[in-house]
Amino acid sequence: MASQWVAAAEWPEKVASLTREGWWLADLCALDTIGLNGGAEDNDPSKRFEVVTQWLHRERKERVTIHVPAEGDPPSVPSIIETWPEATFMEREAYDLMGIVFDGHEGLARLLMPENWEGHPLRKDYGVGKIPIQWIPQPVMQVDAPGQAPDSISAGHQVDRLGQSPVDREEAGAP
Amino acid sequence: MSVHESVLHALDERGHGAYVESFDPQDDHMVLNMGPVHPATHGVLRLLLELDGEIVVRCEPVIGYLHTGIEKECEDNNWRGAVTCVTRMDYLSQLFNEQAYCMAVEELLGIEVPPRGKWIRTMMVELNRLQSHLVWFGTQGLDMGAISAMFYGFREREVITDFFEMTTGYRMNNSWFVPGGTWDDLPEGWERAVRSIVRMMPARLDEYENLLSTNPIFLERTRGVGAISQEDALKIGSSGPIARATGIDWDLRRDMPYEAYGELDFEVPLRSDGDVYARYEVRMDEMRQSVRLVEQLLDGMPGGDHKNMDPKLTPPPRAELNRSMEAVIHHFKLMTQGFTVPPGEAYVAVESSRGELGAYVVSDGGTAPYRVHVRDPSFVNVQAIPVMAERGLVADLIATIASVDPVMGGVDR
Repeated sequence: MASQWVAAAEWPEKVASLTREGWWLADLCALDTIGLNGGAEDNDPSKRFEVVTQWLHRERKERVTIHVPAEGDPPSVPSIIETWPEATFMEREAYDLMGIVFDGHEGLARLLMPENWEGHPLRKDYGVGKIPIQWIPQPVMQVDAPGQAPDSISAGHQVDRLGQSPVDREEAGAP
Repeated sequence: MSVHESVLHALDERGHGAYVESFDPQDDHMVLNMGPVHPATHGVLRLLLELDGEIVVRCEPVIGYLHTGIEKECEDNNWRGAVTCVTRMDYLSQLFNEQAYCMAVEELLGIEVPPRGKWIRTMMVELNRLQSHLVWFGTQGLDMGAISAMFYGFREREVITDFFEMTTGYRMNNSWFVPGGTWDDLPEGWERAVRSIVRMMPARLDEYENLLSTNPIFLERTRGVGAISQEDALKIGSSGPIARATGIDWDLRRDMPYEAYGELDFEVPLRSDGDVYARYEVRMDEMRQSVRLVEQLLDGMPGGDHKNMDPKLTPPPRAELNRSMEAVIHHFKLMTQGFTVPPGEAYVAVESSRGELGAYVVSDGGTAPYRVHVRDPSFVNVQAIPVMAERGLVADLIATIASVDPVMGGVDR
């Protein structure tokens, strides 16, 4: 199985050429590369995330994996639902769970989590057991200590899950 | 003040004014919320329908009511423990989830499963396909008023579920496959149990076909209902029986053989109408092919190890712990930490009872998966419901949902 990396700017063109060649989109998901070998080393959101797509060619009986690094803050990638309506749910899932914005996706909304949920649970700094359950209608957010990252990532990184710096939170009077 | 104005005024006082103002007698579309708690939506699928009388103008699936965060859960387990998580995704085809995940981990590890392990796994997933299709048969009949189909389907499913209990200890969510093979060998007396299933099923399938295939009510409600074209099916990503009912001649088992399928003889049922009846026929034929496969697997089951006996991967047999210090060390390391997997990524897909079920697994070289993503066929197939339901009746929508056979555990994961 071959892996390729394609820049976000060239992504729609690449998708068009793959579709012309007869490739079929099998899967699309998001990947947080922080701490991964060859991946991002700090939690700068513009370099951390990748969209990973799986393609299948039915005549050639081949598969290919294509990575599209998502750049910017929030990380974004052009949407491909025009060509592949199949990706509608997949892109919404990637947005919901990993916080990747798909440019050109009309109605990009949360799919699995409640609409008023805060944060993106599949990100690596969203530690299981570290963040309390958000009881609706009043979401409660707490981290053990402000500015302290959950221990799933090496300590010292700042928690930026709410899009707030620790200073903002202190000013807002959060614990 | 005219009568109309005084009515409006009275309504305004009660806070209904805006509704009356916006009322357009030309627009008689109604928005109806079907689900998430509805007997015909197979779990917690919610459909937002825009209706023109009985005709569905627009349909939008709303999912997420069974979201359990299993993909995240996998990251907190070791490589072996994640099997117990993925098996709970699509709970009607549990062994397919395990198979896809284990094959992906095996690809990362670069190990081979011994022949017996491959054959046991193939036999178990084929029985699982039968089991899953029997639930579909029951619910498809039930949704269309043929309640006896439910009883018949579950009667035979029970026999297979009992065999799973005998083999794995669990009736559902077996978590019996492990990276490298299967957790245990088949129990004593398995041949007799499988033989009885193989002997029973063809006659039972004939009985089902007698019940439904030529039933005029069933034909009225399925022929030409919920049709999808081949082109739409490709664009919307459908796979499995839905795609094969539109004439897409593709089955991973035959076209990209994995496990023991390369050595087995079977056919891929194909229809071209793309409607509910075509999907019904494809699934019925698939059940017959599964019986044929299980029979071949039963007759040709090779001997030898059922899992890869690499001590770095598999705990040593209990008896060896009394004799060998190395065995104790390996056992201790495996039980406290689990095995490590070289860094890399792998995507492996299997043909589950609903279509292409793929597992994308990423390793950072540690003892736990870095990322596990499962491409669940139900998740993608649910998107085909709006295409199938468009301009159909609400009653036909019920038949369509049953024929798509979505499992919400797999849709929401």
